[in-house]
Amino acid sequence: MNAHCVTDDELHAYVDGQLAPERRLFVERWLADDPDAARRAEDYRAQAALLHELFDPVLREPASGPVDELTGKLRGRMPGNDNAAPWHARHWVRMAAAVMLIVGGAGGGWLGRGAVDQSPVVQQRQTLQTFAEEATQAHRFYTSDERFQVELGADNQDELNSWLSKRVGRDVFGPDLGGVGLRLIGGRSLPTELGAGAQYMYVNEANKRVTLFVGAPRSGNPAKFGFSQNGDVATIYWVEGPLAYALAGRMSKEDLLRVAEAVYNDVKAGPRRPEPQSQQNQQPQQQQQQEQQPQQQDQPPAGVQPISDTHKPKDS
Amino acid sequence: MEPSRQQSGARLSTFGVELEVHIASLRRYARALLRNRSDAEDLVQEALTRAVARADTFKAGTNLRAWLFTILHNVHVNQVRSKASRPDEVDVDSVESKLVTPARQEERVELREMMRALDELPEEQRKVLLLVALEGLKYEEVAETLGVPIGTVMSRLSRAREAVRAKLANEGSVALRRVK
Repeated sequence: MNAHCVTDDELHAYVDGQLAPERRLFVERWLADDPDAARRAEDYRAQAALLHELFDPVLREPASGPVDELTGKLRGRMPGNDNAAPWHARHWVRMAAAVMLIVGGAGGGWLGRGAVDQSPVVQQRQTLQTFAEEATQAHRFYTSDERFQVELGADNQDELNSWLSKRVGRDVFGPDLGGVGLRLIGGRSLPTELGAGAQYMYVNEANKRVTLFVGAPRSGNPAKFGFSQNGDVATIYWVEGPLAYALAGRMSKEDLLRVAEAVYNDVKAGPRRPEPQSQQNQQPQQQQQQEQQPQQQDQPPAGVQPISDTHKPKDS
Repeated sequence: MEPSRQQSGARLSTFGVELEVHIASLRRYARALLRNRSDAEDLVQEALTRAVARADTFKAGTNLRAWLFTILHNVHVNQVRSKASRPDEVDVDSVESKLVTPARQEERVELREMMRALDELPEEQRKVLLLVALEGLKYEEVAETLGVPIGTVMSRLSRAREAVRAKLANEGSVALRRVK
């Protein structure tokens, strides 16, 4: 009856996020009154989600050699070029690019659900998705109440890291995220499908919390990563070396990606670095696990401030 | 670059990341269009070769994504044209592409039907649907890329979406209803 209020073009623009902001409320009201139009909009969205599900796997495949080479060449030739990323950032850049192009499960993650396949590649992908889901749930759960958010505080990072490393069975450490305004407050170990996982909890000045979940997958493949949006919690997950990481927070994909980049770079740089001021660490150095794994974390990352206990985080 | 042009790239300000985002997008689009891994990589490779040769024609601050997609589109049109003059090769390719299509993605009924519905669209509609719904291009960027008026983009988009919708509904798929 009021089908003439909104044009067909506007319905498409609404679905595609290209509608002028001042028309959005108008279109939404119309959709609320017109179930047929609402169904169309919903079907169009579903089509887009299916297309993503069909073709997003391409983003996880490495490009062919010549395409890679030409990308580098093009970067060098283009005006506006700000120079190539350092070699170690190369994988990150590619991963970030793909994460930006992946649409997470719309409306609670029905993407990927129901896919039944026995190939090891798909199995691993699903294992990682499960890992990411667990990380998301753990984030929701342990950020819901400040009283039990961490099992062990970050006031002694050596203890925290070596305890969690023991649980996970690999050397893990809570990266320094001071550069993106996040302070480590502690961690806990949790059972996952991949065995025990470590959850590190960070907080920013606005008391917003971000958790980093680390686990040891059976086989690592650096080409595996993904993004999911579950309600208001966004999660980015990837595999680096022998460990899988899932970073979860209530923030936009872009903001979370910046945090993920900080995690990625700090993990890449390795745990060992000179300690700027040892006031935050009164414990004797724990060197005993050093021989087993060169990547052992012993030093608290620079800029992370300790808290007195797990109940009352204090600010410096 | 205009930071607001593409929501996804806004915060990733460096040119290298932006370029990487667009090339990943080209690769996904080429695969969706051609459905065959090696054909798609070849198309992207040829498009990038041309982009490198013409890098000096790109004006800093203009739309890099539209520039790249336009080159890819032109290369594709030329490839289709030259293949049409050699009909034997076309047959081999299309048979091969059927074989290479990964089976695992089609196990879910709604994915299989989406794939089939996409196949049955006229190519001009398929391109518009993929550029808008999969790659998230603005309508003006699609018009620029394909070299058609924006009204044509909108009518092709509308026809494509309704055709896919009718196909998914016709084939008795309850999948899309179930989703909510």
